[in-house]
Amino acid sequence: MILDLQRFQAQEQPRWDKLEGLLAQLEGRPDRRLKPGEAELLQELYAQTAADLNRVIHGALAPDLRQYLERLVARAYADIYYAQPTRSELWQPRRWLRIFTEFPEAFRRQSRYFALAVLITILGCAFGGLAVHYDAASVDVLLPADYLRNPSLRVQQEEKGQNRHLDSAQTEAQFSAQLITHNIQVALLAAALGVTFGIGTALLLFENGLLLGAVAVHYTQQGFGLFVTAWLLPHGAFEIPSILIAGQAGFYLARLLLRRREDRNMRQSMREWLLLIAGLAMMLVWAGTMEAFFSQHQAPVLPYGFKVAVGAAELVLLAIYLLLMGRSHAGADALTSLPAESK
Amino acid sequence: MKNFPPNRLPTIAELTIATPEGVLFRLPLAGPAARLYAMLLDIAIVLAAINGLGYLVYLILAKAPGFAAMTITLAEFAIGFAYGALLEGFWNGQTIGKRLFHLRVIDQSGLPLRIEQAWVRNLMRTVDALPLAYLVGGISALSSPIMQRFGDRVAGTLVVRETPLTAPAEEASSRQKYNSFTDYPVIAMRLRRAATPELAGLIQDALHRRNELAPYARREIYRELATYLQSEIAPFPDELVEMLSDEQYLTNAAGVLLASQRAW
Repeated sequence: MILDLQRFQAQEQPRWDKLEGLLAQLEGRPDRRLKPGEAELLQELYAQTAADLNRVIHGALAPDLRQYLERLVARAYADIYYAQPTRSELWQPRRWLRIFTEFPEAFRRQSRYFALAVLITILGCAFGGLAVHYDAASVDVLLPADYLRNPSLRVQQEEKGQNRHLDSAQTEAQFSAQLITHNIQVALLAAALGVTFGIGTALLLFENGLLLGAVAVHYTQQGFGLFVTAWLLPHGAFEIPSILIAGQAGFYLARLLLRRREDRNMRQSMREWLLLIAGLAMMLVWAGTMEAFFSQHQAPVLPYGFKVAVGAAELVLLAIYLLLMGRSHAGADALTSLPAESK
Repeated sequence: MKNFPPNRLPTIAELTIATPEGVLFRLPLAGPAARLYAMLLDIAIVLAAINGLGYLVYLILAKAPGFAAMTITLAEFAIGFAYGALLEGFWNGQTIGKRLFHLRVIDQSGLPLRIEQAWVRNLMRTVDALPLAYLVGGISALSSPIMQRFGDRVAGTLVVRETPLTAPAEEASSRQKYNSFTDYPVIAMRLRRAATPELAGLIQDALHRRNELAPYARREIYRELATYLQSEIAPFPDELVEMLSDEQYLTNAAGVLLASQRAW
């Protein structure tokens, strides 16, 4: 029952060395693919080393040897049961371009979570809007920033260009980068807060809706409805949907974590979550660019009607993209992607 | 996946993997301190890279500081997330910091992590880093039996310690020294016969982890083990036992159990 360690190690060491050599050889190879003969050898050495490990665990007191064998078995186990993606698979530009069609597909597959995000945002909007409508004093509580509370002053400043710290394309560029990173960070937070079973995501969306509703009603009440639409729509057309998609991703994640035990296809689910995030990040890059370079120019320079029309056109294009893109190609894509992946 | 041996809680966190062939092996998990150091090193590397890049960009775009600032802000943001995700994804679960501190991210089934998992666990840092200094992630890792922060829980990954990959030289150094138990070959043989491999493993573990145990815990464990051996398994003469500390007693017992078959 108790192993003669010296003899055991002397006898088995060559086999371990052989396995180690094979693993090192395999890990040095770029595509990490085995020839049939090697696969057989690896399987055999793995089984024997695992048996040796079992004998060491139950028949000897050799923590160092046990640790060494465990590491060896773990490495062989990983190489047998895991197929590394090859470099050629990873560096196919076509695979990366497919994100543009896969994102709207993922969006449509998980549309019920999007609906939930929309619902919560609308609730927030209604709450904020009604509060301001029936109790003008609530503006002070609901709108955090001073500049949002006094529409007439703000509009005057904007139209005269007094608030324009953005006096050149240079500063606009800098501003756009800040907007993009900030917005992506907020969106990521909404998507990642799915781990709080969606509560954090819901709160974030509700607050977002609340601000939106309060600002909209406040400005409209004072007769600046067109101004605020022209001010917010050109970038909001992409920004607000992308926050909603972040909420969608958050709720999707929450649902995933709640039913994790039944549904073990985590790889596919993670892909879905990442696709949504990649898509909303692209949308936010566009939104940030628009906000810095376009939205900040007011009436004398850009007529409000034109700005609203641009925003509406963006919304239509986005809706077409999200609802229709990839639909007709779905079948063909599945066919062409198979040979490419098995290369 | 995490079935610890029933009789003891591990003093260091570890994960036991059962392969489809019924092989069990353990993976030692990385503690929060090592992960923190690795992360700090990674942050330093990222900051250095961004600053170097920023210097270059300002040189190239000297005429257009606004565009330079835009490029840098965007690059900083992208590098911040992509550094961990890309390195872990393509470099088998290691960033530069993790490699230097001998850590590796793996799938919780013991297999290498996939690229999707690397991205998910790194994007989830937005939550783990809340509210400041990775407080949420730290609490999550400490309250998890397998040291997972939220990103790891979602991605199904964990961070392991890489153990040395060289076969040990001969075990059993205690055989070299004089062992007073060998003066009583009959009792020693009784000890060797009666001790189950589990008990032997327990003694060896207790001695091996001497420096990982808190002093009071060590005294307590050694006393319990020595008392048990002395009263239930192999009673050595009192005049010998009185002169030995519990630790020496256990060292002697381990020496007896380790001795190869030639010795008897």
